[in-house]
Amino acid sequence: MAKPTRRDFLKLAALAPGALALSTLAPKLLQQNKSSDAARSNVIILLFDAMSATNLSLYGYERDTTPNFKRFAKRANVYHAHDSAGNFTTPGTASFLTGTYPWTHRAINAGGLIARNMLDKNLFRFFDKEYTRLAYSQNLWDNYFLTQFAPRLDAILSPAAFSTLSQISSADLKDPTFYRAYDDFLFHSGNPPPSLLFGLASQLYFRRKYFTQSASHTDYPNGMPRAGDYPIYFELKNIFDGVLATLDTLPAPYLTYFHFWSPHAPYRPTRQFTEIFNDKFKPIRKAEHYLSTKSAQSQLNTRRHSYDRYVANLDAEFGRLMDAFEERGIFENSYVVVTSDHGEMFERGTDGHVTPMLYDPVIHIPLMISAPGQNTRTDITSPTNSVDVLPTLLHVTGHDVPDWCEGTLLPALGGKDDLTRSTFSLDAKTNPAYAALKTVSLAMRKGNHKLTYYKNYAGKDTFELYDLANDPQELTELSASDSNMAPLKDELLAKLDAVNQKYPAR
Amino acid sequence: MAISKRFPAWEQVAAVYAVIVVVIYSWTLLWFFWKYSGWAYFMNIVEIANILADSLTINLAESIVVLLAPLAAAVVLPQKWFRNDFVARGVALVLPVLAYMIYIAYQLDHELDYPSAALDWAPVVLLATLLLVFAVGRFSPLRKLLEAFADRTTVFLYLSIPVSLLAVVAVIVQLVF
Repeated sequence: MAKPTRRDFLKLAALAPGALALSTLAPKLLQQNKSSDAARSNVIILLFDAMSATNLSLYGYERDTTPNFKRFAKRANVYHAHDSAGNFTTPGTASFLTGTYPWTHRAINAGGLIARNMLDKNLFRFFDKEYTRLAYSQNLWDNYFLTQFAPRLDAILSPAAFSTLSQISSADLKDPTFYRAYDDFLFHSGNPPPSLLFGLASQLYFRRKYFTQSASHTDYPNGMPRAGDYPIYFELKNIFDGVLATLDTLPAPYLTYFHFWSPHAPYRPTRQFTEIFNDKFKPIRKAEHYLSTKSAQSQLNTRRHSYDRYVANLDAEFGRLMDAFEERGIFENSYVVVTSDHGEMFERGTDGHVTPMLYDPVIHIPLMISAPGQNTRTDITSPTNSVDVLPTLLHVTGHDVPDWCEGTLLPALGGKDDLTRSTFSLDAKTNPAYAALKTVSLAMRKGNHKLTYYKNYAGKDTFELYDLANDPQELTELSASDSNMAPLKDELLAKLDAVNQKYPAR
Repeated sequence: MAISKRFPAWEQVAAVYAVIVVVIYSWTLLWFFWKYSGWAYFMNIVEIANILADSLTINLAESIVVLLAPLAAAVVLPQKWFRNDFVARGVALVLPVLAYMIYIAYQLDHELDYPSAALDWAPVVLLATLLLVFAVGRFSPLRKLLEAFADRTTVFLYLSIPVSLLAVVAVIVQLVF
């Protein structure tokens, strides 16, 4: 037998937190009498943070970033006009998990929380009796929601599970306040730590450890992937191995929600992917927007390049996961959902998704759902939204769809193509969650049209109208010339008025 | 001499502790109120109070740990080197070190930064601190200044101690229930 190497040991160590969590959980799960429902399909949700449909070859992007996503698409329903209800993690994931728009769940601020009167309105509660429910989010903002939903989950894995190096102090505490107090405040990295003694000591210790260990991770020339400002460093391979090991131990049927940090920034592919796409591809240059961060085009192109490489790296790991799913027959008895919480943009002077803008790159996200035993591809081009996934999963697993849900059933999975329906995406991060939305970006998608309202930015209100069927790059602004503008504008304004009715004006 | 007799008087300990409290609690509260405006957008008063309770509990532990340094010096060193001027020498010991820690904390902005350059100054800061501790005994105006400062900060203990104890109770309640 080959002698285990130090690298092998580190890989095993990375799996330890998840294994520990599962070993604690397993007896409890096995005691539950869930075998009578073993014939029910599993639901596996794979959510990739900040994955823009715009940059996926699956959806026609020039660079071949996602050959394995395309492979998965051969056995899935592929939604081509799927938008997130928000343009960053908080509203995006909250809408996905609750089936409601941000104006309802009120998780609209950076790191915000779901309205306390909505805590029982989530995907997990409907799978109460018969399913094993497990959730894992590498993104701590999403993890706030999971801790809010803790009573409806059998297990929440730590955001640091399967990571190589991490320093999450309150990982095992299920109270969102503890995360906020310790990991997001007292010991938070990226800022001077508000805890002068313990916070500082903890950061210095962790940074020293990072420098010592990162030297041995030469596979990552730009540094190991990291969960944003949080001290969680990970290798994609270990994360996917951990997810697979987790699925192997779960009693069926199960509902699992895996929220991967990647391909969110920092974009740090392995060496194998750092030199790909050295091509002559030049993205269309678009005029700088008045709400942009004024980034230079050359900088945007460089960032896009890094992002594309990281997406390709992620795709390769996803391919490995798909292989394992095939080997284990998981596709035969599971709904597998592949999606994102928001996109990423590298145009109009803006890099990333910290923006009030709602252009397609930042809200157009992938959605593919593979039904049990499905081996053909179905393409759906009518507009859909992240709020539609919850009712659809409930429907296909034999649950009733609650009346508070603001989404509808997805076409090909119980719903029908509906070009007359309006779907929405919202950014309102500068508003208090408890007041009427005053400064807001609201995009309404209806048929081929997308109308975006930028309200109260830089002292003005503006509208932008695009015909996405004929102008998917959103280059020709039609608000002054298109006859659809007036009714669309009336509808959008009426919607905003309606959602503001319940809240006090500021 | 028995160790208990090597300890300074409670009033002296309180004066030095008050200086530590002012620095450590102020630093955390500064950031707390800086964050507060954002938190108030989506958290209720109980949730924010919980974070404050966690912060004050940590501050209480930190301030006690820092206090151990001058106390240890008073116990270990000959009386005339430290204990006889405990307030002035204690303040001279903790203030520069806390200030240096704040300086280091400000160097931690970027994830990949390890503040090697700032930490390289640690021996110099330590030496300067020891010189200051020594100088306090030689220069009466400096000693009086530090004692006066410590004396004036003592009033904050009437606030920090009860509030911190309340915070500890709140954290225990959070953990248990």
